[in-house]
Amino acid sequence: MRSLSDQKLDRLRRIATQPDFSGTKYRLIRELGHGGMGTVYLAEDSDLNREVAVKVLNASADEAALSRRMVREAQIIARLEHPGIVPVHDVGVLADGRVFYAMKLIRGERLDKYITNVASLKDRLRKFQAACDAVSFAHAHGVIHRDLKPQNIMIGTFGEVLVVDWGVAKILPPGMTEQDASEAETLRLLPGRHSDEQQRQEHADETTHGTIIGTAKYMSPEQQRGEIDELDQRSDVYSLGAILYFLLTNRAPAAIRPREVDAKVSKAAEAVCLKAMSVSSADRYASAADLGADVARLLNDEPVSAYRENWLEKVWRWLNKNRVLVLIVLAYLLVRIFFLFSPWR
Amino acid sequence: MSKPLIGILVGAVLGAFDGLTAWFTPAVRDQLAGIVVSSTFKGIIAGIAIGFFAKKFHSLPLGLLFGLAIGALLAYLTARFAVGGYYFEIMLPGSLVGLIVGFATQKYGRTPVAAHP
Amino acid sequence: MNGRAVWYTCGSMDVDTDIGGAVHRFPVTSHSAIVAAASKDAQVRQRALETIVASYWKPAYKYIRIKWQASNEDAKDLTQSFFATAIEKSYFAGYDASKASFQTFFRTCLDRFVANQKKSDRRLKRGAGSEHLPLDFAGAESELASNLPGAEMNPEEFFQREWVRSLFTLSVDALEELYKKTGRELQFKIFERYDLQESSEGKVSYGSLANEFGLKTTDVTNYLAAARRDFRKILLEKVRELTGTEAEFQAEVRSLGIDLK
Repeated sequence: MRSLSDQKLDRLRRIATQPDFSGTKYRLIRELGHGGMGTVYLAEDSDLNREVAVKVLNASADEAALSRRMVREAQIIARLEHPGIVPVHDVGVLADGRVFYAMKLIRGERLDKYITNVASLKDRLRKFQAACDAVSFAHAHGVIHRDLKPQNIMIGTFGEVLVVDWGVAKILPPGMTEQDASEAETLRLLPGRHSDEQQRQEHADETTHGTIIGTAKYMSPEQQRGEIDELDQRSDVYSLGAILYFLLTNRAPAAIRPREVDAKVSKAAEAVCLKAMSVSSADRYASAADLGADVARLLNDEPVSAYRENWLEKVWRWLNKNRVLVLIVLAYLLVRIFFLFSPWR
Repeated sequence: MSKPLIGILVGAVLGAFDGLTAWFTPAVRDQLAGIVVSSTFKGIIAGIAIGFFAKKFHSLPLGLLFGLAIGALLAYLTARFAVGGYYFEIMLPGSLVGLIVGFATQKYGRTPVAAHP
Repeated sequence: MNGRAVWYTCGSMDVDTDIGGAVHRFPVTSHSAIVAAASKDAQVRQRALETIVASYWKPAYKYIRIKWQASNEDAKDLTQSFFATAIEKSYFAGYDASKASFQTFFRTCLDRFVANQKKSDRRLKRGAGSEHLPLDFAGAESELASNLPGAEMNPEEFFQREWVRSLFTLSVDALEELYKKTGRELQFKIFERYDLQESSEGKVSYGSLANEFGLKTTDVTNYLAAARRDFRKILLEKVRELTGTEAEFQAEVRSLGIDLK
């Protein structure tokens, strides 16, 4: 009767769970993290002598739909060349049959962890604006993320902002229906890809109406209802608005206004947040770029499109923006008034 | 609008305003016209100097410091040659005017773009 | 796949992302023996129970020995009678995936059974009317003696460890059987020599194996890669058989990566 000692067990467990990088240029260092679809490892690229992150699917290539989805994820990210989107270096199949892709190793922390150390609202808004830029770029290339949340935004060691985890992203080529879009996607990596049968198989793999994707608290209402056909850039705008809510209040989005959670939140900031999080997509910002532009105005103490100021608020904002000047002028006037009534005269 | 021009405009306006406040000093009220003209002129000179400084050095603290210094210097010269010895009354507001011009030239106005080699 | 499985985001290492939502969180996996144990088809039920017994009898025996401090004879009796009773009274058909993992459910049933047996002192004696399963208790005892739990390991952790050992052993056996059937005994031998060697047996390299079997080193590399791939596949199939839901399957696969020592 076969008996496995603890040592043999340990070895077999490593064989079973760790990816077999033989035949690739990567050398496994350690696991960085995992989810249901894949595990991310720290690996060394022996050709370029640098560390990379390698995401490996938690299944063999026989589980075709998962493999196709993972390759698709890599292809989506690879076509988005932007400083705010993690670059993909490589994609392939390991010796153990699992699909993988290698990407830039991000040294930093998630946005939700980052803000525990960063109290400054301006800094949070700058990071958020950078995230809007990255998402806006993706939208301009017909890609919607569909799972935006603080945990999917990384802040690098140099302060750079990267939007990660495009695992459930969708490509929407302009002028095409979703059906056309899915058939237009080509996956050249896996063998036997081009037959009609396999294209039909791929189309069947695509998320269908009624399927719910994303993370509940940051999901747009149409996403929560599973209205896949209705999803467009404005669904991502909703999620960005929910992230803004989190940045303004330090809490996950809830059914109360930001100013009710924290009275220090300005009316303008609240208005921007609530506009992005409008229940009806028609009432939201039309794009992540528009949202980012309003956040830029918040940062520059300029009026935002989401909020109409009264004259008093305009004056107060101007005074706030030009505090130094106001103080100097006040000092000058005080000095003048002082000399008016000074006993020395 | 260039920074020197901003400096001239702000300096002139503030200089004129500063000069007009002499009306509240009965002893010099009859010299008001001359005071306003010289104060405006002083403001323009200060504005030119501070404006060119801002064109060269893009630093708010430095700009404020320079403005303060120029304002104080020109105010001192004015008080030196003025009758009555109102050094404090002239120099303190004059320094603050220089400070305001320094701020305005650093914050506003077109920053020249460096030429590419 | 119909796009209704549970997905997890990986970039963020977060498990909140869900395709399908709560309604679709527990899809029935067609290969699950746990689910098949409740089948109305007697043959299906029988095969499912055989699978469960094959995987769980050793951990159950060792668990009774360690947690309940039973002698090897008593533990043998209790193991046999537990499974006999479980089959007779369809214990496993009552498993509810939404409440706990099957492993937890199994252990709870076992604990209750042993506690009741000890209380009532009406233990079924060997040969007393119930069907006996042909189990190698001597082998299990020997295995236990070589792998006793440390003082810091609680009974639940011990059970988990022994279940993993049983799972891996069955997977290796299944791989051997498969390779024997398909005329690839040599490949299995190479896998066994390289991946199942004890460190005390001396280091084996691809080169030394190539010399030993008269092969090229590249052949050894390929055979090993193929055997590992197949082993992994068999192991995952076995985990799938022994879990009731996709979520449980994912959790068990993840737990295999944790150092159990």
